[in-house]
Amino acid sequence: MVTSMMVFSMSINADQKNYIKFKDKHLSQGREVWLNTCESCHGYGIAGAPVPMHASDWLVRVKKPKSILYDHAINGFYGPDDTMMPERGGNPALTNIEVISAVDYMVALANYYIQLKRK
Amino acid sequence: MKHIDKVLIGASVAISIAGIGTAIAGNEEFDKPTISAKTMADALHLVMDSDRTIYTRKIVNRLVKKDKVIKASEHFEDDKALVLPAQMFRFGSELVAKRAEKLADVNFSYSLQSLWPINKQNAPKTDVEKAGLKYIAENKGKNYYAKETLGGKTYFTAIYADTGVAPVCVSCHNKHKDTPKRDFKIGDVMGGVVIRIPMGS
Repeated sequence: MVTSMMVFSMSINADQKNYIKFKDKHLSQGREVWLNTCESCHGYGIAGAPVPMHASDWLVRVKKPKSILYDHAINGFYGPDDTMMPERGGNPALTNIEVISAVDYMVALANYYIQLKRK
Repeated sequence: MKHIDKVLIGASVAISIAGIGTAIAGNEEFDKPTISAKTMADALHLVMDSDRTIYTRKIVNRLVKKDKVIKASEHFEDDKALVLPAQMFRFGSELVAKRAEKLADVNFSYSLQSLWPINKQNAPKTDVEKAGLKYIAENKGKNYYAKETLGGKTYFTAIYADTGVAPVCVSCHNKHKDTPKRDFKIGDVMGGVVIRIPMGS
């Protein structure tokens, strides 16, 4: 009845090796938090989440005061196009310190790819 | 009067142009296939996903969450509320199925399915649907494409991930009395959009 004759797939985006490891301990901790909570959307641009590997997504954001990014990540945020960032990335178990470390990692990752594009 | 004349002339010109457009659209050249089934499926999914995204952002996120003027509910009629984005998507697919029955050349279908459906009717039925939904759940960021034969007809079937993007998507599924899975997290693939396009007899 059912015959599968051809199967192939197409990747959209993310790859673990693109998530650069930084030597800084705080950023290492942030990477772990980011991988466990934030990556599932920010790694792929799901629901409009800015992807740190895409320099154009973060050029404006990295210039904002970190306090604004922390506030958006901790308390949630509605963007100008009615995009929605959930509180603590939808993981209420995260502490403020853990969220902040994830934001710092994502900004560092974005800056890495922004610099890479400029070279 | 002169103004009316101008409007009438304008309307006549518009009708004439529309008439030419209809004549061109009826040309045999425009009936020849120019894109692949995969490109067609990707284009259809782009439209579906964009429409759903705009409904989620500009209607649900804005009115329910930001401005707090109305609720969105699974029981939208009883609750006098907005339909959920997934319900809007499903209603669209049902209407397309009904209207496409009368259009032999446009006889494609699409549906929202899941390996963990709240409504059992939305579970995968064919081998390709089962394999595809499993594949997109295990390979985040990837689509699944296959050719399958059903009832003697050959179809191109494409399956795209449907991801839980808001706390309410995840919490509703996790808490629903009929759900077979209660540990979804935001960003998890919760199901898939299955698009099926006939590939000739």
